[in-house]
Amino acid sequence: MKKLFALVLALALAISLMPTALAEENVLKYGVDADAAGGFDPHTISAVASMRMIGQMYNTLVDVDEDLNVIPELATSWEQPDDVTYIFHLAENVTFHSGRAMTAEDVKYSFERILDPEVGALGNSSSYAGDIDTVEVVDPYTVKITLKNINAPFLANLSSSYCSIVDKDVVEANDGSLLLADGGTGPYTLGEWVPDNSVTVKAFDNYFDEAGKATFDAIEFYVLTDASARLAALRTGAVDLISADTAMLDLVENDDSIQTVSYQSRNYTGLFLNVNRAPFDNPLVRQAINLALDREEIIEFAFNGKATISGFVPASLGHWAVDVTENEYYTQNIEKAKSLLAEAGYPDGFETNIIVGLLDSIRDTGLVVEQQLAEIGIKVNVQDVERGQYLDAWNGHDFDIMVCQNGAGSDPSRAVAFFFKTGSSANIQDYSNARVDELCELAVATTDTAKREEYYKEATNIILDDCIVAIVASPQEYFLASTALQGFAPNASNANNFAGVTLAK
Amino acid sequence: MRDYIIRRLLMLIPILIGVSIAIFVIMQLIPGDVVSGILGIEETPELRAMWEAKLGLDKPLVEQYFSWIGKAVTGDFGESFRTGEPVFPEIMKRFKISAELALLACVIAWIIALPLGILSSLKRNSVIDRIVRVVALLGVSVPNFASATLLILFFSKAFNYYSPVKYVGLFENFGTNMEIMILPAFILGSVMAGSVMRMTRSSMLEVLRQDYIKAVRAKGAPERVTIFRHAFKNSSIPIVTLIGMQIGGLMGGTVVIEQIFSIPGLGQYTLTGISQRDFPVVQGCVLFIAFVYVIVNLLVDILYTYIDPRISYS
Repeated sequence: MKKLFALVLALALAISLMPTALAEENVLKYGVDADAAGGFDPHTISAVASMRMIGQMYNTLVDVDEDLNVIPELATSWEQPDDVTYIFHLAENVTFHSGRAMTAEDVKYSFERILDPEVGALGNSSSYAGDIDTVEVVDPYTVKITLKNINAPFLANLSSSYCSIVDKDVVEANDGSLLLADGGTGPYTLGEWVPDNSVTVKAFDNYFDEAGKATFDAIEFYVLTDASARLAALRTGAVDLISADTAMLDLVENDDSIQTVSYQSRNYTGLFLNVNRAPFDNPLVRQAINLALDREEIIEFAFNGKATISGFVPASLGHWAVDVTENEYYTQNIEKAKSLLAEAGYPDGFETNIIVGLLDSIRDTGLVVEQQLAEIGIKVNVQDVERGQYLDAWNGHDFDIMVCQNGAGSDPSRAVAFFFKTGSSANIQDYSNARVDELCELAVATTDTAKREEYYKEATNIILDDCIVAIVASPQEYFLASTALQGFAPNASNANNFAGVTLAK
Repeated sequence: MRDYIIRRLLMLIPILIGVSIAIFVIMQLIPGDVVSGILGIEETPELRAMWEAKLGLDKPLVEQYFSWIGKAVTGDFGESFRTGEPVFPEIMKRFKISAELALLACVIAWIIALPLGILSSLKRNSVIDRIVRVVALLGVSVPNFASATLLILFFSKAFNYYSPVKYVGLFENFGTNMEIMILPAFILGSVMAGSVMRMTRSSMLEVLRQDYIKAVRAKGAPERVTIFRHAFKNSSIPIVTLIGMQIGGLMGGTVVIEQIFSIPGLGQYTLTGISQRDFPVVQGCVLFIAFVYVIVNLLVDILYTYIDPRISYS
């Protein structure tokens, strides 16, 4: 009997010790709304869902902080002997996930890959690295980049994942594609991708930057497309963090085990009017549409109140932003809108189509606009289209009114020139204003920030007064997390930054 | 019999060619293409031209189709436009997952539906019959995405339970795999059970009214033998037909459930292919599903000859 008792005791002791011996795995489980699309090649993948992993796997020469300051990443410092020459001094302790040390040769190779027309890299445009003329290796840790022409936002644009530094050997070993391979230097390496289920990235022990080192053994991204399933997974502790939409927020208000994390995005949602199509070619009609909108009501309905009234250069772009609350077209005035319509020759209004799609907030915006424009006699047919059709309308510039959510980027060269300069690929309205074009050219050709600000603000005001768009709001982005998650502070420059983030036991 | 099977298998050829042409045409007709998905907002005419050349989309349509079908007949379904991965191995991987889900759903459906359907026909118009009929109606009419969401919410709220989020294969870890599969299989099974139950009941009622059942009973056979050997077996032809169609349908038709439960099955692969306009993936998936559908139907037809020896295909 005594022996048996001793045995039981010994067993119990052993069992009670075992869990600590096995140690709870230190893994962050992150429930995401969409699967990585196509893979993880930083140079050819534009899908936001893939960027979540790419951001952990790759580094760029420089980064941009929350306040849009350019900060060191792979380059510890840089100098600009003249307006078109940049000399980068690289960190000397950077290793690729393959174990090979990163040198200036790799930087040269990476930009050559981006500029290679056969690769079809997304960074091969003047919004990113497209203006590069030559990349020279000065010494193993110094690289000199010369541009074809002055490109003021060049440095900030290098922070895009499209300009990631990649491992030549890995690219070559995978027939030129990094879609399913990992040629990065980031804090995490690509683990397993089970399409439509999960992606795992694993800690990289030799990460060069102590502060940015992986705090988890792995991050597991789980594809939970269904919003209620995603929330249930968080509630039960199956995942620690989820991407959230504003509709979820009320549901977790009284839940003490769940915290809400948010940041002000640099995106904006609004109406794009086809200025080359009647009746939108008439400025009076465009003004009337702007005046007919009650932006507060749209925010309440389409964003559950979690957005701020904004122009196409949102306030989160800091000193570049133009305050739109003072703009005469931002305050609803039905009477004036009606009289402008009458003046334009449409006393009884007209009928038009509005294309929505992609996001719930875009669809809901369309629905509220339908009601609001009805008040001034404009009958709107809301066409909720599938992704492919939406992109066709975008690329083909084929719409009357289109509701879009665009990213303003980190510099007005994106927010203003990319969307509104004549001939720019994202100018879906085929808008053309000689002065705006001139200002955009001037602004990109000088590195004087004060001058640039002046040029862009003038251009912004011209576009606002032309009323070619009716921008509504800049939304907040949300995450929901277990209260055990600590130190997670995403911002618009880096929405998936897990440096220093931990899970309390 | 052997000739019949060979004939049926030969019929697969025109069916699959027809399906492949239909898919090709539909993929051309629907708006959007794979390149706009890849480039998103960064699209420029130069980038588009480059990607079209890279993916062979700049060639004439007829040439695109024939170069695809030329490889397909040798068993090479090409590579995904997006990931560059060969399509066929991925289809096989996904098929195993979908087939497991479908079979589990069937087993659950049979366990629920057959006994209840038989019971309901025997106790016609009784309370039990009425309850079974209402349950069957519910099974058929509640959409599976609704019951899936409700069940997930119920388990998470009542038991603080969520099935494992990381997919594990059947042979990697049987227990975890079953835990992942059981809820979705139950939901799919309950939908199937509704119609199988109704079919079993009506088919049984019809047979039970036949003279030979009276003869069996008059002969003094035990009720158990009457019901199972004589009535049920003879009423099972329409049930088998229905189940065959359901299994075929489950191959691609589980997409909603796969999505809600994050199961990487064939349905989701097809859907991702469609939404990304990834032609080789869509073409491969649809052809494979059509193939499975035809084979399942052939098996059902062969099964008829065992159930009813009067049926023969000569």
